[in-house]
Amino acid sequence: VTSLTLAPPLVWLLGVPLVGVPLVYLTRRRWLLLVALASMWVLFILSVIANAGTPPRQAYQIGGVPVLMDGVGLLLAGVALTVGTAAAIYSLPYLAGERGRERYDALILALIGSVIGVGCAGDLFNLWLWFECLSVTAWLLVAFHQERGAALEAGIKYLVQSAVGSALVLMGIALTFWETGTLDLEGIRGAATATLGLVAAGTLYVIGFGVKAALVPLHTWLPDAHSQAPSGISALLSGIVIEAGLLALLRALAALTAVSLSWGWLLLVFGAVNLCAGNLLALRQSEVKRLLAYSSVAQLGYMLIGIGIGVTSGEVGGAQGGLFHLITHAAMKALAFLAVGAMAVGVGHSLTIADLGGASRKYPVMALGLSMAVLGLGGLPPFAGFLSKWQIFASGVATGDALITAVVVLAAANSVLSLAYYAPLANALYRREPSAGARDGAPLAPTFTVIVALLALVVVGLGLVPGLLDGLTERAGAALVAAFAR
Amino acid sequence: MQVMGAGATLIAFTILLPWAGALAVWGLRRAGAQHGLACAAATLTALVTLGLIPLTANGERLTLTLPLGGSWGDLTFAADGLSVLLSAIAAVIGALAVYFSVGYLHGTPPADLGRYYALVLIFIGAMSGLVLTEHLLLLFFFWELVALCSYALIAFYGDNPAAVRGGLKALILTQTGGLGLLVGCLVIGTALGDFRYGTFLAKAGDVPTGALALAAFGFLIAAAAKSAQVPFHSWLPDAMEAPTPVSALIHAATMVNAGVYLLARFYPAFVTVPGWADAVVIIGVLSALVGGLMSLATDDLKRVLACSTISQLGFMVYAVGVGAVFASQYHLLSHAIFKALLFLSAGAVIHSLGTRDMAHMGRVRADLPFISIMLLVGALALVGLPMLNGFWSKEAILDAGLSQGAGAAFLAMLVGVCLTALYAVRMLDRVVFRSPAPDSPAAPPTPHVMRWVCGALCLGTLTSWLLAEPISRAFEATLPFHQTFAVSLPDMSAEIVESAALPLALAAMGLGAVIGGLRGWAMRRWPLPGGWRRFADEGFGVEPLNRLVIRITQGTADMARRTQTGHLNWNVVGIIGGWLVVMVLIVMGGAR
Repeated sequence: VTSLTLAPPLVWLLGVPLVGVPLVYLTRRRWLLLVALASMWVLFILSVIANAGTPPRQAYQIGGVPVLMDGVGLLLAGVALTVGTAAAIYSLPYLAGERGRERYDALILALIGSVIGVGCAGDLFNLWLWFECLSVTAWLLVAFHQERGAALEAGIKYLVQSAVGSALVLMGIALTFWETGTLDLEGIRGAATATLGLVAAGTLYVIGFGVKAALVPLHTWLPDAHSQAPSGISALLSGIVIEAGLLALLRALAALTAVSLSWGWLLLVFGAVNLCAGNLLALRQSEVKRLLAYSSVAQLGYMLIGIGIGVTSGEVGGAQGGLFHLITHAAMKALAFLAVGAMAVGVGHSLTIADLGGASRKYPVMALGLSMAVLGLGGLPPFAGFLSKWQIFASGVATGDALITAVVVLAAANSVLSLAYYAPLANALYRREPSAGARDGAPLAPTFTVIVALLALVVVGLGLVPGLLDGLTERAGAALVAAFAR
Repeated sequence: MQVMGAGATLIAFTILLPWAGALAVWGLRRAGAQHGLACAAATLTALVTLGLIPLTANGERLTLTLPLGGSWGDLTFAADGLSVLLSAIAAVIGALAVYFSVGYLHGTPPADLGRYYALVLIFIGAMSGLVLTEHLLLLFFFWELVALCSYALIAFYGDNPAAVRGGLKALILTQTGGLGLLVGCLVIGTALGDFRYGTFLAKAGDVPTGALALAAFGFLIAAAAKSAQVPFHSWLPDAMEAPTPVSALIHAATMVNAGVYLLARFYPAFVTVPGWADAVVIIGVLSALVGGLMSLATDDLKRVLACSTISQLGFMVYAVGVGAVFASQYHLLSHAIFKALLFLSAGAVIHSLGTRDMAHMGRVRADLPFISIMLLVGALALVGLPMLNGFWSKEAILDAGLSQGAGAAFLAMLVGVCLTALYAVRMLDRVVFRSPAPDSPAAPPTPHVMRWVCGALCLGTLTSWLLAEPISRAFEATLPFHQTFAVSLPDMSAEIVESAALPLALAAMGLGAVIGGLRGWAMRRWPLPGGWRRFADEGFGVEPLNRLVIRITQGTADMARRTQTGHLNWNVVGIIGGWLVVMVLIVMGGAR
């Protein structure tokens, strides 16, 4: 642990939301949000530059608080900023004229800050603290449309289930502290032995954080929350919030590496279960945002499998693929939610697949973006999802383990299954006879078009030039595997 | 991009040119400009692709390397005899299909037309990429990309539920087969630490036996799905909802050949796997027979041709199985040309008459005399009548089958030849030779561009067999692992004429034609059992099987939905129950 002499950009990256959130809320100036985001981008880029060429795992001590900046935290910060910025700008026209916008803007900034905090926490206390911040902001955003009963119900479910998860995590932390006498992740790592108390703590982390990460069967809050939230928030929930839960889980679990040999296998099992359950639940879904929500459950399965491969076998490529899929999924899912959300604004109500019939006439960019997103989620080239899945599968087969290879085959078969609901969605958009909504829908703000077009470019760009982010994913994958090394 | 040699630029252009055209045509909003730009892009692509021929003809192997960096490594392309042959077919027939579309899709709204041309052009580039790459990751990339184009084009008329169903079916079935390719590629790449074909073909012996067998059968499954072979054949007839130029290009001349190409490309590596070659032969024979029988059971002109494609692809797969790699690709060339001719002529008929049902096609001979001749030439080449391209290539396959393959399989292929003649005569009888009903309205004439394209393909049908010598020479020079030998045209024709297979094949053809001619009379005397047609039309039991799989999947999905109760209490029970299960799993698994 190096003591802090000159505050690294990372500290400021966490500081901006702390200052920015009250400012945005109290002054009601929307441009302040954009200024805050822009300054966070500058600091993020400085962090990346500062991080390059250093060992992948950097620990700082800031006022007695241990802060980690390894590849994983950096990657999460990058994804959070990207999706967060897209969602924030997208929300400018999305919420135009609605009451309580300043609340929304402040909460988005808080959400991005909490995700970055979760990625940087170096001890269990701060991890839990950031994680709770994340839960509360996300809950407020899910229930943003308080006047709608369904949104309130979704918010309450989300809050209660998160609280149950948090309680379990807290119990896990208590057990860990009891057994090891420290909350510092590195300290726990040194002190942990295979006692029943720590086994229980590990499983409590898996389930407690797993609620937020939407592991099946803890995912039951997700379809309501993702479909009832404003679309910008759905993109954030799907793109980074559940992933932040996953990475928090991994952070806590990595400290307990010595406790059980089965953590990696547990990830693989949850991955396989998430894939099958998510896809089956999405298959007969007709409401588009719910369908996309279930698809997130399934897509998380690929990340779990990739990371599980890395953890069980030490194959960096697996963890790298899992994290690359985290990025590509965030881009594709954000694209999908934002495109659907924009069309829903135009049509004036939430959309079923039938409502999207012929939407390409009126909203060609949205339709193209949505079809690219869902076909990419189904793993078709030249979109980003194809290559991240390939990387996961390739490293799985490379382990030479028959069981892992079987999981890979199952995962690949699930991609085919998922096309059975993605493809009809894309087809519906290109019908010639438009549905009533698509025919009479209002024109859309150009901001929507710009954001969706940019995300679509990212989805194709990563599908054609995957090496772009290799620097980021390789460091993160290596850090993750190193954290789980015995 | 690191380019080695000027010829490598050509490789890049064969793929990137049509893609650039696709992007541009998608952006246009005027039908005239879209037609023009699509034709220009397709023509340029064809010219560039043909430019590869002289460069590879002298035995040179052009390569192109794309360094992706990091863990992705270098992705490589290589142009050899096999890949140039297939990419030339894709580009030239692609261009012809695009010209044909100018007439066929006249009057389509610009938004749809832009999407149509964009997808066709993306397909042409992807197909060239598929055959020109020599890297397994890229192979899988392009393999899936052509599937995407195929699906989107089958479902092009999105308001027609049959089209949407057909597209989805094609996508799911070929993707399921694609799993085999995925696993095969990964197993090979893992075993050798290298995804390039060159390494694999040279060091196939170093791959552990089990892994090699897994890859060999994985590739076979993928090939069978892509080339609509038994038991995956049921998607191809349903794919006929696509616009006819797409059926001609993707579902007759190019994409469906990818499976045969895959088998031929990796034949030298897989032939040592016990049972693999036999499995290839069995799949080929079954497909040749099943396709022929299915062709007899339908009245839809395009479905007849689709089933015939299944059957002809079966001939090619059979040829690979008996080791006749050159003959399989030679027939692939002939088939691509005459089947494109048949499809486009059929498209012209459908365009004029507005129906695909052969029962209502009486006026073709009277009103569309030129198209009738085209159909006749195409059908005769399909049957394998002497001096047409189908004759030479089919005889080359049968000759090889007789000398190198099992006798029973050869006999079954003769039955296939007989069936081909039978369904071709049936089709000609119903479409061309039947006299028109007196009160049927006159059919409007075919647009010039469509006739012109058919004429070009007809010329190809008459002459493409003359290319045997340069193709075999290129194969010998550029495919070091395949052990194919150059043959001169006189030698080849002498061998075919003197082969014992020739009289047998001619007899089978004659028998088929006679049965076809007497069919009406025979059907009156010995009517077939009523369920037979339905059984054949449903792919001999495969269709009910597909339906069963769909029902089970949907039933499971409906059951899964019931777990989402919406009750918060149950959700919390799920969380606590989940913890208990995990705790038990970890404690029990602690020994691991």
